[in-house]
Amino acid sequence: MEHLSYDIRSGDFNGAGAASRDLKRHLKRIGAESDAVRRAMIAAYEAEMNVVIHAESGRLEATVTDGQLDVDVVDRGPGIPDIPAAMREGWSTASAEARALGFGAGMGLPNIERNSDRVSVTSAVGEGCRVSFTVMLRPEAADQGARPSSLGIAAELCRDCRRCLVACPTAAVRVREAHPSVLHHLCIDCTCCIAACEPGALTLLDAPGGLPSDGVLAVPPALLAGFGDHGVETVLEELRGLGFAEVLSVHPYEDELRREVLDLAGSGAVEAPVISPVCPAVADLIEVKFPSLVRHLAPLASPWEALQRDLDRQDVTYAVSCPCQRTAILAQQPTAQRHTVTARLVREAVLPRLAARHSTASGSSAPRPQEAGADDLLVVTGVAHVEAVLEQIEDGRLGGVAAVEPFICDDGCFGSPLLSEDAYVASWRWAAAAGGAPGHGRSFARSRPYRPRPGIRLDPDMAVAIRKLAELDAETRSLPGKDCGVCGAPTCATLAEDVVMGRAARALCPYVAPEEESTS
Amino acid sequence: MKLEDIAGELGLTEFTPGVTGNREAEIDHGYASDLLSDVLAHAPEGGVLITLQVHLNVIAVASHAELAAVVFAGNRKPDDEVIAKAAAEGLSLYGSPSDTFDIVGSLSALGVKGHHA
Repeated sequence: MEHLSYDIRSGDFNGAGAASRDLKRHLKRIGAESDAVRRAMIAAYEAEMNVVIHAESGRLEATVTDGQLDVDVVDRGPGIPDIPAAMREGWSTASAEARALGFGAGMGLPNIERNSDRVSVTSAVGEGCRVSFTVMLRPEAADQGARPSSLGIAAELCRDCRRCLVACPTAAVRVREAHPSVLHHLCIDCTCCIAACEPGALTLLDAPGGLPSDGVLAVPPALLAGFGDHGVETVLEELRGLGFAEVLSVHPYEDELRREVLDLAGSGAVEAPVISPVCPAVADLIEVKFPSLVRHLAPLASPWEALQRDLDRQDVTYAVSCPCQRTAILAQQPTAQRHTVTARLVREAVLPRLAARHSTASGSSAPRPQEAGADDLLVVTGVAHVEAVLEQIEDGRLGGVAAVEPFICDDGCFGSPLLSEDAYVASWRWAAAAGGAPGHGRSFARSRPYRPRPGIRLDPDMAVAIRKLAELDAETRSLPGKDCGVCGAPTCATLAEDVVMGRAARALCPYVAPEEESTS
Repeated sequence: MKLEDIAGELGLTEFTPGVTGNREAEIDHGYASDLLSDVLAHAPEGGVLITLQVHLNVIAVASHAELAAVVFAGNRKPDDEVIAKAAAEGLSLYGSPSDTFDIVGSLSALGVKGHHA
């Protein structure tokens, strides 16, 4: 991993482009594919020019990791009062000087959006703004509307059991030569393959530098309630003992989101039933597999995104319990990857401190107070149930429900396979300790609207896609339809797609006779 | 068509005689615009840009967009700093007394196409 940092001077039209040029040099040196380099440069140059044209000063930070470039441009300046307007082509507040030079045509932010795989713009009027974007450096991913995934692969642990193939709700996993891989344009960062992978070959990516020990630590409630007899208070105290100035739980943001979703359901502003974006993996599942339901999603940030927006500082360490939370955090602030760690890493760090103490369980077992309007809310957990409910909504068969709170993991966030305490035990302890971790949550509108993801499109060019669809049909018919998984794809239809898209050869199918392969 | 042949056919003035690497380059595509973000977004890689803008940022943009050459229309001439920068980036600069419309017309007649053609 390489980290680069550049100061950008306001009004320096002649020096502008220096940062993006240097970045380009680095990308070429690591051998990034040329189209990706070009896209990255266009986005970086536009972000740089934004600072030159509009701000008082600014800084461009870039992180290059295997397969992706994350750029964060932060400036001090007037900020952007209306971000959705600024994202539209043709909207500009540039000076006459900038316009005379051919800038300020209102194409900067749209150009960044077009040339990156994810982008976020946040701003405080009178203070400045932050433009963050990511460019996938591997061409096959960028082509198909892929976005980065937080799934980590430790191929050496793979036993070739192929349970992950059938566990994946979007058929994104392949296992070939005992090497699992993920089609990024389909991955929704859920935990299904992780839960199915006993040896741990599929897991959550950790921060490259290990656990920081200063600043703010943000944790899921399930982590606080996951240490047996040790009460939430004690766990918080020992976490602070690791060096953190402040330790926050994400639960007030979950509560606030739930209130907002129920309000929206009551107001009729979003089509009923309103689906809560509490679990980014489900929001993603909807974008990929249930695009007609995007209009049911409340246009709000997930609890982790809201916490991040609320804190708005660089020294926060996010201890996440699943890939979708990490991906959501990085989508808002790509450079936070040095600060997103697994809940497991935090657990391992604090365990020795807790072991040195006696049990301090509080006697309280007061049940958690009911949320207002919670009767109208349908909570669904587990990918099979979530898909079943989404299908009911799609078919218009889910009457009487005002709002849905779906979680991809069984038993919600407490049930993430990446947490060590059993979901029922941890949620019982958490309920018993209600109030043990106080805090105030806020909810935020989402900066990028939810929209269908073209993950299943066969080609950006519709004519080519139609041709490929015909090939796909023929290819699927020529396979035996046994869905055995021996070829490394979950079904015959997915192998057919791999063949048509050039990702695999049909000879991988044990039922296709070799002579048939050579004559086809 | 080769860049040096195009320059000959159109009677272009060469501002960067030191840049020789592009003369043999085949120029199939071109773009005409004075809005630099528009150039960044749409100019075809390896192509030629026709513009009225003669300042330093044009060089940065043309280099980012990986263009082979820039033709300044309407008798506009870049200053020495701009020419030196272009030479350092390996970008060829030309000038023409014709306006943008006529230059594009001539290029089109020589078979140079737009981005999506």
